[in-house]
Amino acid sequence: MNKAKNLAFSYSFLLPSYILTIVLGIYPIMWAMRYMFYDYKGFGTARFVGLANLERVMTDHQFWDSVSNTFVYAGGKLLLSIPLALILAVILNWKIKGRNLLRAIIFMPTIISTAVMAVVFFTIFNSYNGILNQFLLKYKLIGSAIDWLGVDYAMLTIILVAVWGAVGNYMLLFLAGLQNIPEDVYESSALDGANKFQQFRYITIPMLGPVMQMIIMLAIINALKGYESIMVMTDGGPIGKTNVMFLYVYKLFFPPAGSTASTQIQEFGYGSAVAFVTAVIVGIITILYFYGSKRMSHNE
Amino acid sequence: MRIAWNTVLWAFLLIVAFLTLFPIIITLLGSFKTNAELTAGATFLPAIWQFTNYIEAWKQANFSTYTLNSVFVAVASTIGTLIVSSMAAYVVNRMDFIGKKLYVSIQAFTMFVAIGAVVLRPQFELMIKLHLHNTLWGVILILISTHASAFFILLSFMNGIPKELDEAARIDGCSPGRTFWRIIIPLLTPGLGVCALFAFRGAWNEYLIPFVFTLSKPELQTLTVGLANLKYGITAASQTHFMMAGACLSILPILIAYIFANKSFMQMTAGSLKG
Repeated sequence: MNKAKNLAFSYSFLLPSYILTIVLGIYPIMWAMRYMFYDYKGFGTARFVGLANLERVMTDHQFWDSVSNTFVYAGGKLLLSIPLALILAVILNWKIKGRNLLRAIIFMPTIISTAVMAVVFFTIFNSYNGILNQFLLKYKLIGSAIDWLGVDYAMLTIILVAVWGAVGNYMLLFLAGLQNIPEDVYESSALDGANKFQQFRYITIPMLGPVMQMIIMLAIINALKGYESIMVMTDGGPIGKTNVMFLYVYKLFFPPAGSTASTQIQEFGYGSAVAFVTAVIVGIITILYFYGSKRMSHNE
Repeated sequence: MRIAWNTVLWAFLLIVAFLTLFPIIITLLGSFKTNAELTAGATFLPAIWQFTNYIEAWKQANFSTYTLNSVFVAVASTIGTLIVSSMAAYVVNRMDFIGKKLYVSIQAFTMFVAIGAVVLRPQFELMIKLHLHNTLWGVILILISTHASAFFILLSFMNGIPKELDEAARIDGCSPGRTFWRIIIPLLTPGLGVCALFAFRGAWNEYLIPFVFTLSKPELQTLTVGLANLKYGITAASQTHFMMAGACLSILPILIAYIFANKSFMQMTAGSLKG
């Protein structure tokens, strides 16, 4: 086959993928980069405003509130899910009865849509006629209904739901990492009289370092970006208590759930600037974590 | 000492397993309860099994439409993803051409850069210009456009197919296109299966993209969207049993596939990223 023919064939096979990626992947990113510098509400002409949008982001209290909410959400999710996932992975890596079934059960939530489970959790935690409150009330475990999605507990509730959905996935990644630790390391340490806890502290943790560094990084990025289940469960409420960065961005681009599309004025230009700042924040945290955790990937 | 340790261990494992399964069991059992029983709470098993919930949800709450839309979106975007990514993986793995490195880096780039709702807006505007915003094809195209992970999975599977086969086919006068369809695709079946499962799961579970595209077109809503919107409906409080039945309709296909394919599913998913 000659060169030109080969080239033509290769390009024709690559074309569908290239077109889709450029048009629906790259172009939208460029679009956002451009409108960052414009005042554009989605209709009429866009007006160039330079860095005015970015300046507005800096003094936007709602946005910075959503940033701190995101940190609380991501921090809570990580502190609960990563240790739990690690402990479960270590236990389910031992040769105990029923470990495959337990792995399958714990992994199950990750195959179900977060939006669907958010609906289910809403019916469970709903303060007015939620299943959990009715149950606790009937068995006199609480005196009056707890407002699980109210001002005081909403953040805790969405963190618990997020942990429920994430533990199985991190457990599986930890399990994959544990498979790479050779069995004879444990055997020889057992001969030297090390107990399970000592093995965990002095063998498992150090040898899992590089994998752990990667898993925590993924978890951080995911936690900072997640907003689907929050959108369905609380829609950022009550009074913005669970409004996270990406949900705030979303609301600048699309009308709130339950309202009709035509009645809401959207802020594409300002939204793009907010999204840019959000992406920068996620990027900085990822890089900081990556350098801060470098020690993890060195096996001394 | 050993017995005490084992008791603690198993108590811990059983509590975790129970908490994990609890919402799913609540949903399955709840879908057979009357609405009154659900909102009064505090029964575990349904007092009387209301199998008619599903029939009513299917008819009254429009779940027939939602389900058909979900099936359409999931099947079409799965097929599209497989075709687009397998063709790309084939030429990238087997051919030499200018711009190959650029293509691979663009694919890698799109996997890591996602700014959520922002890209959704221009995608939506584009679909309006293409007159695809009033159909589910817009949703399907966007889902197919995120085929980078399928591409990389297939690329690694492609490495395992010996190149001698291509050469033998070429000597026999087989064109590269024919070689792809007749020789590569059949040998790529395991890899395609993995990608199909991921793509189907992703499309079936997707919420935001179909949500945005159906804001003004309720008859195009998929299961996840229709279900979540019931929550916002004015009569939501009186429709909890429909919500449970709808949740089951959307969970069950994936759950059954998962239970049957559990072993290979676990291995495959060890490499996938979600959470």
